[in-house]
Amino acid sequence: MKIKLKITLLISIFTFLVAGNSLGIAGDLDPFLSVKGTLRIAGGTAHIPVMKEAAKRIMYMNRDIKITIAGGGSGVGIKQAGEGLVDIGNTGRKATDDEIKRYGLKMFKFAIDGIAVVVNPENPVASMKKTEIMDIFSGKLDNWKALGWKDRATNVYTRDASSGTRKVFWKKALKKGEITKTANFVKSHGAMKSAISVDPYGIGYISVGYLDNTVAPVSLDGISPTLENVRKGNYNIARGLYMNTKGEPSGLTRLFIDYILSKEGQKLVTEKGFIAVKQ
Amino acid sequence: MNRLTEYGIIIFTWITGIIIIGAVGVLLSFLLYKGIPALNPSMIFGETGSLDALLLRKAVVDGLFPAIAGTILLIITSIIWAIPVGVASGIYLAEYCNIRWKPLFNFLLDVLAGIPSILVGLFGFAISIFLHRHLSEHIYPCFLISSLALACLVLPYIIRTTEQSLGNLPFSIKTTGLALGASRLQNTLFILIPYNFSSIISGIILAIGRCAEDTAVIMLTGVVAMAGIPTSVLSQYEAIPFYIFYISSDYNSQEELMRGFGASIILLGICVFLFTLSNILKRKVAIRFATHT
Amino acid sequence: MRPFIEKCAEKGLLLSALLSASITIFILSFMLLFSLPLFREGKIVEFLRLGWNPYDGKFGVLPMVVGTVIIASFAIFIATPFGIGCSALISVFSQRSFGRFLRKLVEFMTGIPTVIYSFVAIFLLVPLVREIFQEGTGMCVLSASIILALLVLPTIVLFLTDAFNSVPKNYLNAAEALGATPVQKLIYVIIPSAWKGIISGLVLAAGRAAGDTMISLMIAGNALQIPRGLSGAARTLTSHIALIIASDYESPEFKSIFVCGLILFVFTMLIVLILRLLGYFEILRER
Repeated sequence: MKIKLKITLLISIFTFLVAGNSLGIAGDLDPFLSVKGTLRIAGGTAHIPVMKEAAKRIMYMNRDIKITIAGGGSGVGIKQAGEGLVDIGNTGRKATDDEIKRYGLKMFKFAIDGIAVVVNPENPVASMKKTEIMDIFSGKLDNWKALGWKDRATNVYTRDASSGTRKVFWKKALKKGEITKTANFVKSHGAMKSAISVDPYGIGYISVGYLDNTVAPVSLDGISPTLENVRKGNYNIARGLYMNTKGEPSGLTRLFIDYILSKEGQKLVTEKGFIAVKQ
Repeated sequence: MNRLTEYGIIIFTWITGIIIIGAVGVLLSFLLYKGIPALNPSMIFGETGSLDALLLRKAVVDGLFPAIAGTILLIITSIIWAIPVGVASGIYLAEYCNIRWKPLFNFLLDVLAGIPSILVGLFGFAISIFLHRHLSEHIYPCFLISSLALACLVLPYIIRTTEQSLGNLPFSIKTTGLALGASRLQNTLFILIPYNFSSIISGIILAIGRCAEDTAVIMLTGVVAMAGIPTSVLSQYEAIPFYIFYISSDYNSQEELMRGFGASIILLGICVFLFTLSNILKRKVAIRFATHT
Repeated sequence: MRPFIEKCAEKGLLLSALLSASITIFILSFMLLFSLPLFREGKIVEFLRLGWNPYDGKFGVLPMVVGTVIIASFAIFIATPFGIGCSALISVFSQRSFGRFLRKLVEFMTGIPTVIYSFVAIFLLVPLVREIFQEGTGMCVLSASIILALLVLPTIVLFLTDAFNSVPKNYLNAAEALGATPVQKLIYVIIPSAWKGIISGLVLAAGRAAGDTMISLMIAGNALQIPRGLSGAARTLTSHIALIIASDYESPEFKSIFVCGLILFVFTMLIVLILRLLGYFEILRER
């Protein structure tokens, strides 16, 4: 009898633990059940898929919580968070010391990401030298012929001045070189991706997490822009994805940041194609 | 002018007509071809059940519902601002305005009518910054500012139609009431306006259509890519034309693109319906007046 | 009691009219207010210069002004023959069947939202233009002008048709009595006497074309340069404002958009003045 009781107890405890873990979906989101309010997020466009999915899960759980997400680029994220217009400003680059001092920003890194040069899938050029990249973007190299493809002009796409992706790419890949005046401006990651995917002769840059089969990544000096290479440090055009708040976050903002940094949140980060900061 | 040139000219005009019809036809058929397959409840409500969404029990994240609700609320609020001011101004200009001041009023209103929509949006944005700096830290581009800016945008339409309709009335109608002893105000309010009602309504409907389709103004004054149903006038919101704009370059998957086409069809349907209604009302009025002196 | 309420009501009407008219003045003042710091710093000349590169501190909006002018002019250039042709068809050559249908179609077109035009153009026109030119992205002056022409065409056609129809009937009857064919009537009687209305329609359409934002934002490529040709990408004042609005509130970059707003305002005033001179408003009020 006693043994049976012990076994039953053991099994029930075990089941309880297992069940609790699979309801782990509810686990990390539980703190949201008793709160209400509005959370405003704006900034980097690379972050949007992660933010949207997290927001979706939270809003499903608790209809008294509203989360609004806007894009605009890292510059907008910093500015709006600093001015108190949004609760969380996303950036794809580290905030400068000047910005931190001016606004009293607190940074929370939640993912690591690389920036890949991309071309259209029809384009056979899959590997370029760093110098060739700099020449293409500055306009010196303006025809695909020079890289072994058809005699067609290269169409350079770039992001606007607010973009953190642009800033990091400019600094690390282009070594602060010029970007040609004929470049077409696109407003966000999604826009860059769709532009390149419909233009056979286009070239641009997007986050490694955004890569899919509608665009083709280009290896730089032989190193391909995969998550592995970014993690190992081989591919050095990398950056962190940050959430920034003005001062210490509290309430709903704190809960959201904790969620993104929680196990489940980090799992979401990897699902969306980035590298988690916490395993 | 010889025969050949004459025939050439006629053929030229026919060709232009055919090309235009062709262009519009291609546009519409492409839209319908791509959009009709996407028209189903899940496009509007995403994964939430339709009843839950309509009763605001659950948030809709993957669908057009927030955008549609945002546009409808925006139209209603803008019209609430625009109708009183617009109709009153129109009445004033048609009935009470001093001949000396009229050219000035007309000039200012014509400039307002011609101002590009983005400039109106910029104005709204400037106002929100101004209020943010001088009034309250909590004010930033939001639903309220958007609806005020949109009201400014469509005000000229309402003023013009009201003024024109009152001004074009046959003399006999205008003076009968006065001859019977009504005061100017009574005459205007109780006789002229009701007589002209369809014409004024057609102007209002035109304004509604313009509110529904405008993108530039709302882009600068508070619309965002994802915000749910607006719960307060100071919150941000979604709208259909902005959704289409945003999806056109930012689509992450084929189904988002399909939703964009579906949204286009919805927007096109709304606007075409409104504009046609406005035109029908205008025609009805024209016919009626054709028989008066 | 009555007279008092009446007086109030009349004052209320006056107030509304004053409010509406003053909105225009408010818009102007806000633009001036926000660009004032720039005027004070004497940077205004810099703005009318070439070259926009925030990292370098260059904020010239000249490329955008040129972009607006080129795209709008080319759009009108494309739309005018079509406009004249369609109007001729509607009011002269085919007054019964096809003409009526065409007119209904054009009226229908006035209801099509601008975003829809550009949305469809991205998928249909841009790849086509890219193939035709064999270079460039397809997002260029030509694509934007074509769609813009389609957008303003209804304005032109409806205006011209009204102008054609308001030629005094006795002119037409006289011409017919002298044995004129429809084409001769069009060329020698209708167009000369309706020229004011034609020009007004074209000016109005030009104003509309220059003021449009969505088409140039989505289709013209937004490159920061003076386009080298039809296949070059360009940026207009309107799309520039839309693109920059996401930036800093303090930087000169940001303040420059108010200068753009000022330029657009002045441009609108000019258009209104020209139309006044052409008697457009007289015609409108008569109708």
